[in-house]
Amino acid sequence: MTRATSLLYLDGVSVAFDGFKALNDLSLTIDPGEMRAIIGPNGAGKTTMMDVITGKTRPDSGEVYFSGAIDLTSEDEAAIAELGIGRKFQKPTVFESHTVWDNLELALKAPRGPFSTLFHVITGAEKTRIENLLELIRLTDKSSELAANLSHGQKQWLEIGMLLAQDPKLLLVDEPAAGMTDAETAETADLLKDIAKDHSVVVVEHDMDFVRSLDVKVTVLHEGSVLAEGSLDHVSADERVVEVYLGR
Amino acid sequence: MSCLKSLFVFLCLQISLMVGLAGPANAQSDSETLRPLINELAEGKFAETERQIGALVATGDPIVAPALEALSAGDLYVRKSDGQVFIAEKDGKQFKLTDPLTLEAQGEAGRREVKKIKVNNKLRRVIRSALGSLTLMAPDPKVRIAAAEAVFKAKDPGSIEALDTAIAAEQDANVLEVMQQARAAAVLNSDLEEAEKIAAVEILSEMGNREALSLLIGVRSSSEGAVQGAAAAAVTKIEKSIAAWDAAQNIWYGISLGSVLLLAAIGLAITFGVMGVINMAHGEMVMIGAYTTFVVQDLIRTSMPELFDYSLFIALPLAFLTAGVIGIAIERGVIRWLYGRPLETLLATWGISLILQQAVRSIFGPTNREVGNPDWMSGAFELGQMTITYNRMWIVVFALLVFAGLILVLKKTPFGLYTRAVTQNRRMAANMGIRTPWIDALTFGLGSGIAGIAGVALSQIDNVSPNLGQGYIIDSFMVVVFGGVGNLWGTLVGAMTLGVVNKFLEPYAGAVLGKIFVLVFIILFIQKRPRGLFALKGRAVEA
Amino acid sequence: MMSSFLFRAMDARAGIFLALMAAVIILVPVGNLLVPETSPFHVPTYAVTLMGKYLTYALLALAVDLVWGYCGILSLGHAAFFALGGYAMGMYLMRQIGTRGVYGDPLLPDFMVFLNWQELPWYWYGFDMFWFAALMVLLVPGLLAFVFGWFAFRSRVTGVYLSIITQALTYALLLAFFRNDMGFGGNNGLTDFKDILGFDIQADTTRAGLFAASGLALVVCFLICRSVTRSKLGKVLVAVRDAESRTRFLGYRVEHYKLFVWTLSAMMAGVAGALYVPQVGIINPGEFAPANSIEVVIWVAVGGRATLVGAVLGAVLVNFAKTWFTAALPDIWLFALGGLFVFVTLFLPKGIVGTLSDGWTALRQRRISSDFGEGSGDPPSQAPQSPGAPANVPPPGPAVSRAGAAHPQPAE
Repeated sequence: MTRATSLLYLDGVSVAFDGFKALNDLSLTIDPGEMRAIIGPNGAGKTTMMDVITGKTRPDSGEVYFSGAIDLTSEDEAAIAELGIGRKFQKPTVFESHTVWDNLELALKAPRGPFSTLFHVITGAEKTRIENLLELIRLTDKSSELAANLSHGQKQWLEIGMLLAQDPKLLLVDEPAAGMTDAETAETADLLKDIAKDHSVVVVEHDMDFVRSLDVKVTVLHEGSVLAEGSLDHVSADERVVEVYLGR
Repeated sequence: MSCLKSLFVFLCLQISLMVGLAGPANAQSDSETLRPLINELAEGKFAETERQIGALVATGDPIVAPALEALSAGDLYVRKSDGQVFIAEKDGKQFKLTDPLTLEAQGEAGRREVKKIKVNNKLRRVIRSALGSLTLMAPDPKVRIAAAEAVFKAKDPGSIEALDTAIAAEQDANVLEVMQQARAAAVLNSDLEEAEKIAAVEILSEMGNREALSLLIGVRSSSEGAVQGAAAAAVTKIEKSIAAWDAAQNIWYGISLGSVLLLAAIGLAITFGVMGVINMAHGEMVMIGAYTTFVVQDLIRTSMPELFDYSLFIALPLAFLTAGVIGIAIERGVIRWLYGRPLETLLATWGISLILQQAVRSIFGPTNREVGNPDWMSGAFELGQMTITYNRMWIVVFALLVFAGLILVLKKTPFGLYTRAVTQNRRMAANMGIRTPWIDALTFGLGSGIAGIAGVALSQIDNVSPNLGQGYIIDSFMVVVFGGVGNLWGTLVGAMTLGVVNKFLEPYAGAVLGKIFVLVFIILFIQKRPRGLFALKGRAVEA
Repeated sequence: MMSSFLFRAMDARAGIFLALMAAVIILVPVGNLLVPETSPFHVPTYAVTLMGKYLTYALLALAVDLVWGYCGILSLGHAAFFALGGYAMGMYLMRQIGTRGVYGDPLLPDFMVFLNWQELPWYWYGFDMFWFAALMVLLVPGLLAFVFGWFAFRSRVTGVYLSIITQALTYALLLAFFRNDMGFGGNNGLTDFKDILGFDIQADTTRAGLFAASGLALVVCFLICRSVTRSKLGKVLVAVRDAESRTRFLGYRVEHYKLFVWTLSAMMAGVAGALYVPQVGIINPGEFAPANSIEVVIWVAVGGRATLVGAVLGAVLVNFAKTWFTAALPDIWLFALGGLFVFVTLFLPKGIVGTLSDGWTALRQRRISSDFGEGSGDPPSQAPQSPGAPANVPPPGPAVSRAGAAHPQPAE
C-alpha cells in the first residue's frame, strides 16, 4: 500500500455537504493494471468518490494522487481527463445531437485545444480506430445515427466506447449495467473484462451478479468510508456488510 | 454693518408678517393705535424720546421694530407739513418715504420738507435692547425662537443684555436652548472675558450642527489662548459627530433604497429563487400594481374623496389580486410549457413584458400618471441631524412587513409547505397527493402578487409610466443573484447591501457612476461566487 | 490545412445562400445606380440604406447564433459589442468632419467644443486614420468580450446567470455612455457625419458601396461561422451546449472553447455595428439598451438557432416586419413582437429553417427507407437541434408529461 507504486491513491479523504459527510476519511489504493469493483448501499459515497477523483468535487481534507506523484486535488476536470482518467457516468451521458461517429471522434485521443480542433482534419488512422471501436461496441451500423436515437443499453455501450477512445490509463465506470437486460449485462461484463486486460478499471455497481461475474477484488463503501475489502465471497461473509445491506 | 442691519430689519419684518398672519384683524387695529405713538417720536428731547420708545416697546408688538431700527440708524424722518413720521432714504436730492408700520412706499419728499429725528448713542443702546426684548419676549414661542435665531446669525454682542433678560423669563425649554445658543454666538463675538467665552464654546459644541461648526471655525481662527484651544477641540468634536450623522443619513438612504430593491426583488426571489423560473415580465407586475393604485385613486377622487387617505390600503389587496391573477394566467398559459428550459422561459416572458407594456400604454397613454401621496405619506421629520421623509420611512416599514409576511407564508402555512415540497422533490410531492401544477400556478401567482403590492408602494416614490417595470428588472435580478438564489434571507441582505453600497458610492462617484460600479462589482462577485452570497451547498447533480 | 478549413464551409446549402447573397449584393446597387428612376426596377436610395441596415442586423444575428445556437451561451449583451464597434466607426467619422462642424474646430468634435473641452482625450487619438478605427472595431469589442468571458467562463457562470450578467454589462455601458464626461457625446452620441474614406456619406454611390460592403462582410462572416461550426471545434461547441460537464470529462477545456467563440462572435458584432453607423448616420447610447440585445435573440429564434442561414433570414424577416408595422400600425408593433417571442418559444422552437429542414429530413428518410436506404454514407454533420433543449426534453405542447427531467428546480 504505498503511494509510489500505486496508480490511484486516496488517503483520509473527507467531503461534507452542509454538514452531511458524504466521504468520511476514505482511503483506497488501486494498483496499475488492477480491476476493482466498488459496492455499497445508496448514499455510501460512491459517486462522490468518483467526483473527487475526476476533479468535480474538491475534498475538504485528504490526499488524492494519480500515478504516485500527481496531486489530483489541484487539477481541474479537463486536466485530469488529459492525465488519463476516463469516466462513465451513472446516467448515460452522450452527446445526443451528435452522431455515434462524432461522439467517438470527439472522445478520440487527440490534442484538445481550440485551435487544434479548429484546424483538425481526420486522419486515416483515426478513422480506423473509430471503426474498430464501433465494431467493439457493436454500433457499426448505427454510426451515422444520432446518439439521441439509441436505446438505453446502446448509449451505455457508446459511452464505454467513448471511454476507450480516450485511451485512458484508468477507467471509472459508474453502474455500467444499470437498465440493461440480462444478456446485455453479461456482454457488458465480458467487455469490461476485456478492457481490463490493458487498462486499470474501477467499477461501481449495485448488481451483485454483475460484480460476481467480474470476479475481481471488491471494496465495500458505507457512510463514506471503506467497510470491507477482499474477494466478493470474503466480503459477503463479513457480518457488518450483511448488516449494512440487509438492515438491522 | 449696514448689511447686518438690513438683515435684521428683514427678519423683524418676517416676524411681523408671521404675527400678522396669526391675527390679521388684530394687527390692523394695532397699526392704527400705534401710529400716534410713532408720530410722537418726532417730538421732544432725547429723554422724552427714550420714554416714547419705552411706550412703543410696552405694546409688545413687533411691528414697531422697523421704525425703531430706522430711528437707531438715523433714517427716521418727520414730514414738516403734517407731522407724519416716515422711514426715509436719500435718493439724489429727494427722499423716498416709507411708512414705518406698513412698510409701504409713500412717495417722495424734498430735502426741506422733512426733518431727521435726532438720536444719540444712549438712545441707540436703548433701542437695541428694546428691539431684542420686543421679539425675544413675544408671547408666541415661534416668534421668540425666530428672534433668537436671528441673534444667532447676527452674533450681535449688543443683544446679550436682552437675551439675558429673556432667558431669565423663558419657560419653554426648546426656546431656552435656542436662546442660550444665540447668546453663546453673541458672546463669542463680544469682548467679554475668557471664561464666558469658553462656556459659550461649550454650548455651541453641544449644539453640534453645521452652523455651530462654521461659527466655531471662525472663532478658532480669530481667537487665541484658551478660547482657541476650546474652539479647536469643539470643532474636532462637531466634525466627528457630523461625520457620524452623515454616515447615519447615508445608511438611512441606503436602507431606503434597499427597501425599494427588496420590494422589487422579493417577488422575483420566489419565482426565480424558489421555482427557478426566469420571469422577465416581473417588472411589469410591479407596473400593474402601480397602475392599480392609480385607478383606485382615480375612482376615489371622483366618487369618494374623503377616502383618499385610505386609498393605498384599498389598492394593496386589489394590486395583489390583479397582478396575481395575471401571473397565474401567464404561468398556466405560457410558462408551464417551458419548465426545464430556462432560456426559453426568459425569452417568452420578455415577450409578455412587451405585450403588457404596450397594453398599458394603449389603455392609459404613454405619459406619466399622477399618483398622489396621502397625508400620512407626505412630509418629513428630523431625527438628530437627519431628515427622514415619511414616504421613505413607510416604504422601509412596508418592505420589511412584506418580507416577514412572505417568510411566514412559506414557513408556517400548508401552502408554503407544499411549495417547499414541490421545490425539493416534485415527483415525491405529486405521489403524496399534492397537485403540483396548482402549486406551481399559485406560487407564481404569489410572486406576481407581491410584485403588485410592491408596485403600490413604488407608485409613491416613482413615476407611474408604462416603463416603470423596466427600470427595476435588472436591479431585481442583481439583488436575487447577489443574495443567493433560493434564499429569501439572502435577498434581504442582498437588497440592503446593494442599497447601502450604492448610497455610499454616490457622493464620491456620482449616482450614475456609482450604479455602474455596483453593476461591475456584482459581475465580478458572481464570478467569484456564482451561487450568490448565501448559496446552498450540496452535491451538485448536473445532468 | 487552411484550405481544408475553408473548403469545409462549402456545400449545397451554403452554395444557395452565397449565390443569393451575390445576386443581392450586385443587383441592389445596380438597381439603384444604373436603372433609371422611372423604371419599375429602380431601387430608391432609402431602400438601399434600409436593406444595408438589415444586412448589418443579419450579421449581428449571425454573431448571436454562433454563441447561442452552437454553444448554448444566451447573450443578452451583444448590443454592447455592436454599439462599441459602432462607436469606433463613429469616432472615425467624427474626426473626418474636420472644420465642417458647427464650431469649425479642426481637432475637436462639436460636442467637445460645446462642453468647453480644451484638448482631444487620449482615447480619441488615432481615430482620424481609417485603418486604426477598423482595427479598433475588431479589438475593442474583442477585448471586452475576452476579459469578460475570461472571468465568466473560468468561474463557470452558465445559463441564466450568464445571460443576466451579460445584460448587466450592456446596462452598465449604457449608463456610462450617457455621461457627457465619458467623451463620447453623451446623450446625443455621435452624428452629423460628412464623409467616409473621402466619399460623401450622403451620396448614392457611397450608400450603394456601404450596402455592398455590408453584404460582403455578411458573406465573409457566414463562411467563417460555417467553417468554425463544421470543424471539430464546432462539434465540441455543440457538445458543450448539450452536456458541458461531460465535455470536460473528455478532457476539453470548456472555458477556452467558450472564450474563443465568444470573442469571435463579439468581433463580428463589432463589425456589424461599424457598418451600421455610417448607413444610419448616428450612434448614441440607446444602442446599448438591454432590450436591443434581447430583440436580436428573437431574430435568431425566429429564423432557427443553430442554423446560420436561419439567423440571417430571421433578422431580415423580423426587421422587415418591424419597418412595416412601425409605419403602418405603430401601436401594434410591440404586441406583435411580444407575441412573436411567445409564439416562437412555444410553437416553433427550432425556428423557420430548423422546422423546414426537419421536415425535409423526415421526407428524405421516408424516401430512403422506401428505397431500402442507399447512399446515406456520410454522417450528417449538422443535425438541427434546438439548443438549451436537449433531445430528451419532449417538444412543448399540452401533452408534455411533467414527470420527466424537465422540472423547475431551485438552482443548487
